[in-house]
Amino acid sequence: MAKLGEFWRRIIFSFRRSKMDRELAEEMRQHLELKTRQNMAAGMSSEEAGYAAQRQLGNLTRMEEESRTSWGFPFLESLLQDVRYGLRGLRKAPGFTAVAAITLALGIGATTAIFSIVNTVLIRPLPYKDSARLAQIHTVSPMFPEFQLGESKPDFDDIQAGTHSFEAMAISQKKTTNLTAPGTPEEVDAANISANFFSLLGVSTALGRTFQPEDEERKNGDVVLLSQHIWHERFGSDANVVGKTITLEEKLYTVIGVMPGNFESPGKDDLWLPFLKSSEAASKRDNWFFGVLAKVKSGQSMQAAQTELDGMAERLTSKYPGDEKGIKFKLTPLQESVVGDAKSGFIPLLGAVGFLLLIACANVSNLILSRGVQRQSEMAIRAALGASRPRILRQLLIESLLLSCIGGAAGILLAVYGIAAYRALAPANVPRLNELHADFTIAWIALALSSITGILCGLAPALHTSRPDLNLALKERLASGTPTRFSMRSALVVTEVALALVLLDGSALMVQSMVRMLSVDTGFRTDHMLTAELNLPKSRYATPESQQIFAQQLLDTLHANERLKNVAVSDAPAFHGLRMTTFYGNDSLETGGKSTTLQERAVSPEFFETMRIRLISGRIFQQTDIKGASHVAIINEALMKRYFPGQDPIGKTIQFSPKAESQVRIAGVVADTRDVQLRAAPRPQIYLSLIQNESQSLNLFIRTSTDPLALATELRKTVWSIDKDQPISHVQSMTEVVSQSVAEPRFRTGLLGVFAAAGLTLTLVGIYGVVSYMAGQRTREIGIRVALGAQRGNVLQLVLGQGVRLTIAGAIAGVLGSLALTRLLKSELFGIKPTDPVTLIAAAVLMLLVALAACYLPARRATHIDPLVALRHE
Amino acid sequence: MVRTAAKNELLPGTLDMLILHTLTRGARHGYGIAQHIQEISDDVLQVEEGSLYPALQRLLVKGWVKAEWGTSENNRRARYYTLTKAGKKQLGEEAENFSRMVLAISRVMRTA
Repeated sequence: MAKLGEFWRRIIFSFRRSKMDRELAEEMRQHLELKTRQNMAAGMSSEEAGYAAQRQLGNLTRMEEESRTSWGFPFLESLLQDVRYGLRGLRKAPGFTAVAAITLALGIGATTAIFSIVNTVLIRPLPYKDSARLAQIHTVSPMFPEFQLGESKPDFDDIQAGTHSFEAMAISQKKTTNLTAPGTPEEVDAANISANFFSLLGVSTALGRTFQPEDEERKNGDVVLLSQHIWHERFGSDANVVGKTITLEEKLYTVIGVMPGNFESPGKDDLWLPFLKSSEAASKRDNWFFGVLAKVKSGQSMQAAQTELDGMAERLTSKYPGDEKGIKFKLTPLQESVVGDAKSGFIPLLGAVGFLLLIACANVSNLILSRGVQRQSEMAIRAALGASRPRILRQLLIESLLLSCIGGAAGILLAVYGIAAYRALAPANVPRLNELHADFTIAWIALALSSITGILCGLAPALHTSRPDLNLALKERLASGTPTRFSMRSALVVTEVALALVLLDGSALMVQSMVRMLSVDTGFRTDHMLTAELNLPKSRYATPESQQIFAQQLLDTLHANERLKNVAVSDAPAFHGLRMTTFYGNDSLETGGKSTTLQERAVSPEFFETMRIRLISGRIFQQTDIKGASHVAIINEALMKRYFPGQDPIGKTIQFSPKAESQVRIAGVVADTRDVQLRAAPRPQIYLSLIQNESQSLNLFIRTSTDPLALATELRKTVWSIDKDQPISHVQSMTEVVSQSVAEPRFRTGLLGVFAAAGLTLTLVGIYGVVSYMAGQRTREIGIRVALGAQRGNVLQLVLGQGVRLTIAGAIAGVLGSLALTRLLKSELFGIKPTDPVTLIAAAVLMLLVALAACYLPARRATHIDPLVALRHE
Repeated sequence: MVRTAAKNELLPGTLDMLILHTLTRGARHGYGIAQHIQEISDDVLQVEEGSLYPALQRLLVKGWVKAEWGTSENNRRARYYTLTKAGKKQLGEEAENFSRMVLAISRVMRTA
């Protein structure tokens, strides 16, 4: 209470400063007068009395000063004074200020941008209500040991009825569907969702209503909810869209609502349909393809919920030993499944910006240090006038903080643009991109970084500059610098070189890994190939026969076209989408009686020829491998080596289910391919005949003799000549497909490269600055050497040698640092070890070359030193 | 720059107390306070009179005294200081502390 009153009075007094000043002066003048009068009364002469009074009263100026300190906030005021003084100093040295501020802006900006992105993507809760309590439930079945499956509807019902950990559970199924009207035919991502799905996420519609339980029984007919962008693209954001219809797979759906613009569902769906309870798929217990979103009860831990699910899985296993044998349920927090493995990708980026910031700090530290040398006499005068070392230290730190704040402000700008660029350039499969935007967190992050940076880059020079050596400083400055003076400078350069080298090595490793990934032997030829994807609408091609007819018709038409005749069809695309996987169990296989999962692909007979996949033994599919004939399969080398070691697999059989008719006979063995992920080693793969296994999904692979993309239009026309409503998507060259499959790591590699280049540039500038300074300090020495007969070469060597020695010291530290740190990249790297010696040596050599380039200019300048001028120099 | 009034300097912190005590007998201006302290102490306590003013500012900020402009005995404008309630309380505390300290010191001196 008393404190508050005092605070308040201080504020009032600081505002009435001038009045208080006047009053105090008047009061003291009166005092003086009265005193003089009293002295005169005691018998002094008027002059004598005045002097005596003054003596008795003391130093009036000091009294006034002292009084003032109790009026306001003296600490704050002197701080403000330091700030003003610092700003004036920075204004007077525009070159220094600009270079230092730009350097810091680069470091702070880059770090702020990456921190902010990491904060949004990894740390910030998902934009759903109570998102920390949201989780997905997956099934892990011994039949598909490597996969996280969804739930079957009966399991979902059992979990819902038999557990107590969850507040609510929603079920959904993702699918792609053909949207044909309004607008052009297009494949869109849709999801069938239970009525409580959106209330579980805590979102409601922007227009209209969400699903009601009766929608799940089709009581309101076929209804659909649109995402904002579909509403925008297909209906021009028509406010009266509710009640209108869209056509999906040739069936009309009534729009009942539109979701808000900032909403993105965990599955990034374009539109939503009600979950249909009565569908056939929903009745099967082993149909584990439904997504389950659950909200754990408030106060309940995920761990406890998982334990309850474990018990549930055990009960189901013993109750349904046929379908559910050995299944487990796995609870994954929604945040984890959305963000996924983005986490590991950010670690190198965080490290890189951290290093960049430190390099920037070292550079600015050096600049401040150099400026401090010029200000040595200023500091000495201050100290002589009674400024204590902490006081000078404070002033210097305030100056470096000012500098870092200017850098930070520019850094905010850089970060805002950086984040916008990131959002624009990042591949679409980076999670939570839509949530990235410039907000106030950027300012906070930049402020925090600026404060740390200001102290980090200012402390060492401040300690150095404020060291009171009055005598030395006020006298003539040292004729030429003594070596000890350089120690901090040298340490900074060595650190900088070491940091930049680690950065360089890391990004060189990433680039090489990317190059190696892109040039990895895929086992098929990726050039001159056009690909496209067709999904046959169920409405039109419901039966296997109709699908078969369409496929055959398409192939016949394409075969008749000279430019498109080298075409093959498969049921799965290359490099994207989920690959169907199936299990087999057969006594003839060396699997210990267990079943396992295989990659499966049904292909037309031309597939191997078109893709240029080598046949190793046996035969490829023939036109005679038709429905009625015995089912055949072709396996790859990996499958042969794993399950038929040392045997001839031709003629052996593989079985896909307990039923005998699912048996296929192996007809041939082909070479391994990488057609799912470039970085994944080829897995056991089985090819089936597309004629014997017709599919709704037709993926075309066309070998062309010219630029494949030039034929895209012709391909579309050909497809539409058979069926004008058939959407055709992903019309791309195989080279594009391959490159897109690594878009995300390539993007990060590029980003890392940019940071490494920035780090290298800053280091170049840093080395240049320090070597120039050192050479400048040695002007006299060099002058003497030249006077004594040193040649240009000797001088060059002298200056270069100094820079190179520092660089080598830094490079050694950098190599050690790289060896310790690049192992963090291990999971990112492909085909190259984190400790790859060639990369490390190359990076070190590049560093050395950069250092030489940085030293060359000051060294050359030193060779032009005229001994006469140099000796008169100081 | 030899200071002549070095003798009988005040114990640090006691000036505030003396001022507060002086004001218990009514409002006074700065000169009056100085006079009073000197008179009462039989000129033993030589207050460097100027230091009275910073001390008064301090007391003002603390809220222990109030200042008002009035007219002096010889009809001149003068700033009069009065003790506040908080000032009275503070004086009580300081006086108590002071006498406790003096007692302690004199006890130590006696035993020597």
